[in-house]
Amino acid sequence: MVDVHLIGITKRFGRVVAVDDLYLDVEDGEFIVLLGPSGCGKTTTLRIIAGLEKPDKGRILFGERDVTRLPPRERNISMVFQSYAVWPHMKVFDNIAFPLKIKKYPPEEIKNRVRWAAELLQIEDLLDRYPAQLSGGQRQRVAVARAIVVEPDVLLMDEPLSNLDALLRVKMRSELKKLQQRIGVTTIYVTHDQVEAMTMGDRIAVMNAGKIMQVGTPEEVYNKPANLFVAGFIGSPQMNFIDARIVETDKGYVAETETFTIRLPEKYKELLRPLRNEKVILGIRPEHIYLEPRKHTTLAAIRGRIDFVERLGSDNVLHIDTGGKIIIAKTSGNYAYKVGQEVEVYLDLDKLHVFKQDGEAVF
Amino acid sequence: MVRRRGKKLIKYIVINIVVWALAILWVLPFIGITMVSLRPFSEVVVKGWWNIIGQYTLKNYVDAWTDPMYSLETGFRNSLIVTIPSTVIPLFIAALAAYVFSRFSFPLKTMLFITLLIIMAMPQQMSVIPLFFMLNKMGLYDKLQGLILVHSSWGLAWITFFLKNFFDTLPKEIEEAARVDGASDFHIFFRIVLPMSLPAIASVAAIQFTWVWSDFFYALVFLVSPQNYVATLQVATMKGQYHIDWGLLSAGSILTMSVPLILYALLQKYYVKGMVGWTVKG
Repeated sequence: MVDVHLIGITKRFGRVVAVDDLYLDVEDGEFIVLLGPSGCGKTTTLRIIAGLEKPDKGRILFGERDVTRLPPRERNISMVFQSYAVWPHMKVFDNIAFPLKIKKYPPEEIKNRVRWAAELLQIEDLLDRYPAQLSGGQRQRVAVARAIVVEPDVLLMDEPLSNLDALLRVKMRSELKKLQQRIGVTTIYVTHDQVEAMTMGDRIAVMNAGKIMQVGTPEEVYNKPANLFVAGFIGSPQMNFIDARIVETDKGYVAETETFTIRLPEKYKELLRPLRNEKVILGIRPEHIYLEPRKHTTLAAIRGRIDFVERLGSDNVLHIDTGGKIIIAKTSGNYAYKVGQEVEVYLDLDKLHVFKQDGEAVF
Repeated sequence: MVRRRGKKLIKYIVINIVVWALAILWVLPFIGITMVSLRPFSEVVVKGWWNIIGQYTLKNYVDAWTDPMYSLETGFRNSLIVTIPSTVIPLFIAALAAYVFSRFSFPLKTMLFITLLIIMAMPQQMSVIPLFFMLNKMGLYDKLQGLILVHSSWGLAWITFFLKNFFDTLPKEIEEAARVDGASDFHIFFRIVLPMSLPAIASVAAIQFTWVWSDFFYALVFLVSPQNYVATLQVATMKGQYHIDWGLLSAGSILTMSVPLILYALLQKYYVKGMVGWTVKG
């Protein structure tokens, strides 16, 4: 087990900058998730850590050891691929035993370790089968068993669940997380699925256009997004963004939007002062917009008309027209709202976010 | 409804007739020489090749195999000595080359690959005279080793091309997984890539084997001593200038073609897969 440090990693493919001066510290035994849309450079970053790609600039440290120029086999890592990458001509046992055989472990130990890994992944009964005789989920378990059997310093996973069906994915999510906690291996996990990231990661590194946008615990990236990108990427439905101008009045600071004006809580005064008369972007999550007043929170009420209702069973997602600007609210599924209905909408100002024009979060 | 079913039936019948007709046309020469090979000379000469009632004999086969004048036994031995290395050697070298073409980048790669394609397109007749001088200088003229060398080099180009296309279809992750697990390039090639390419390897082996086994032109030019004759040359000697023993000639032909036929039958499972793999991304 080891801590991992990426120091100023840059990787170009022709003119495209896939990874752009990236810094990341992963603690020993941590489960960190690289999260971002396709093409954001997360897989390239993982492949650079694996040694499958060479960075154009920067260094990679495993603990004190500089592994930047080392080939994969000298890094003591394991990797689980999206397509499982189990070898069809080898039985499950031989697939799992392969890294041990390469590293010339004695036959008895190979047997013991393969059995240990197979038991952890509950595939002891499949050791004599060929991959073609296994289901997708079982193949995924084989790939994971093969990855942990050598007890690597760092375990890398590249969207390992994205080829599984939805139910199995949910099951494997918790299993993988438990497995990681049990063996305590430093794990770097790539996904574009925010639910996976939120449920599995000790910390999440949100990436976009080759850069890390924010690193933090799932709660941090959700509650305190560092910028517009993170705020918009995390959370479903997406956070509402409303263009506004900060104006100082004798009652304190207000945010004027095209369709409504809201008074901003006193506690943000210091943060808002430099933004007087500046254009900003207000951000509020759909789940922080209510259709009934609540106690113990600072609310701002605006009028709106229901434009569209998405019924999800447990929740309703309401598209509310507030005089030309549609905002999305998520409410409990118990209420039956109708299209065209006039409603009073309450924005929870304690959960409000304000972003500068360049996207940086003010709060 | 009835009309539609009737139309379908007619279509079915027509397709069957056409396909059967083509198949029979295709197999007819083979049936013909099989018939001839099983009849005594006297009957073939008098009654022609299509005559089911009559005498059947294996004498032609025995003669073809044992007669010292045109012994197929020697021909088979020489053919095997030439064909097996001429299949294995280029297959081994071309597999390595194809893997490099498929997976690595290096200077002049495209140019080298184009050269390969040009070599593939070149007719044998164009190279025969320079090859003759070359083998003569090397002391390999009229030697089986010389013919092995020629066939091996001739096979290299197309096998490299064929296998490169097949390797291109293999997912890279399969190899990267092995690389991460600590395997070297050679290890990956021999333990992962080659076993996974068995269908392609089998196809290549079958085609190259048949090609070399059936070759007449190079063998005719480069082998002159009768004791070095390969099977195809031996069959040709069965036809005299004034007298042709059709039965003997047919038996010799069937014996000679039986080896590639058996090979195809044995490798059919892989062969079909390999060809499919090739055409998917050719």
